[in-house]
Amino acid sequence: MNPVTMTLIQGTVVEEEVHLSLTELCRACRAEEEHVLSWVFEGVLEPLGDSPRDWRFGGESLRRARLAMRLARDLDINPPGVALALDLLDEVAELRARLKRAGRLR
Amino acid sequence: MKFKDYYETLGLARGATQDEIKRAYRKLARKYHPDVSKLADADARFKELGEAYAVLKDPEKRAAYDQVGSQWQPGQDFQPPPGWDAGFEFSGGDFGGTGAGADNSEFFEALFGRHFGTGQRGHRPATGQDHHAKVMIDLADAYHGARRSIVLRMPMLDAQGHLTSQERTLDVSIPKGVRAGQHLRLSGQGAPGEGGAAAGDLYLEIVFNPHPLFRVDGRDVYVDLPLAPWEAALGATVTAPTPGGAVALAIPPGSAAGRRMRLKARGIPGSPPGDLYVVLSIVLPPAGNDAERDAYRTLGKAFDFNPRAHLMEETS
Repeated sequence: MNPVTMTLIQGTVVEEEVHLSLTELCRACRAEEEHVLSWVFEGVLEPLGDSPRDWRFGGESLRRARLAMRLARDLDINPPGVALALDLLDEVAELRARLKRAGRLR
Repeated sequence: MKFKDYYETLGLARGATQDEIKRAYRKLARKYHPDVSKLADADARFKELGEAYAVLKDPEKRAAYDQVGSQWQPGQDFQPPPGWDAGFEFSGGDFGGTGAGADNSEFFEALFGRHFGTGQRGHRPATGQDHHAKVMIDLADAYHGARRSIVLRMPMLDAQGHLTSQERTLDVSIPKGVRAGQHLRLSGQGAPGEGGAAAGDLYLEIVFNPHPLFRVDGRDVYVDLPLAPWEAALGATVTAPTPGGAVALAIPPGSAAGRRMRLKARGIPGSPPGDLYVVLSIVLPPAGNDAERDAYRTLGKAFDFNPRAHLMEETS
């Protein structure tokens, strides 16, 4: 391993400061466009804009799209199944957060 | 290197049909998928499943594996015999399932490594791929901002087509107010582009190290604050820990266990900032000596108090 010169890298917080185009989102989660299109039609992702060319995805879409991609790829789930799984996972996360707030779960 | 029994990983007998292999994999994959399972070893289990399935689902690889596997027991030291794969044709390309090839075991690489991973998946534009990694930070880093050195392992192909990993260290500024699950985008820090095209980006997912006192929920932070019974009953000013430093907190008289007190804007900073919730609990002092037992007896005499009164009403 060669020592690398260290320069401080500033990042941007995707969820707060970034909107992604369809191409950027596909690249960031290594999904084909047709995957992302099908997830939008199932309501998994809700971009702003009228046509795919104008779509702007909020930063939160990155986490959802990556999760959708992993589920679709690893478990071979079709888009309606991905949508259902994401809804259920959101619900589980909300319930776990509630347990955590009550101090029942670390 | 140990021999891996891929049939055992999937809970199957050697004669399993392709359908049985698929069913067993699907069932276990749903159980151990890291996005679904909260088991501590889900990640490792899922990788093993993916590797086993990548071999057994593919009749070519399965036949080659069976040929080698008939001579070994699981856990036994393993070296692929020279020319073991002669006579097998491999279509190459993508494994599906496991994702990044660098995650596969040494055993897998010894058997199949040289045949795969050389071809890029699908058609890619010349722009470099985006990379993803997780970075662990402390809650305090989100309050104050921080500078973190992170070591990344990048899978690379060497001249012979074997997968190796190259380490690089990045010095990253963690912005104040960042929350668990958010992503930092570092432009141009992903894979280099081809033919002078732009490099991909690196996305860092923020994960908080668990804290012994504080629980985090989005931008809000929770802390348990134990009180003595008289502090809860009479009110008191007590010191409470917060990630931003200790604060003096006025406990109102008659506070019940489980009551939450909100300290506005003392959660994770931002616009809007999160809140800090202090969750009250009441701890009884032990009656360890005569004086303490007398104190409890005096307490008992002073009150006309039956905490079970409502139980009787409900049953009659």
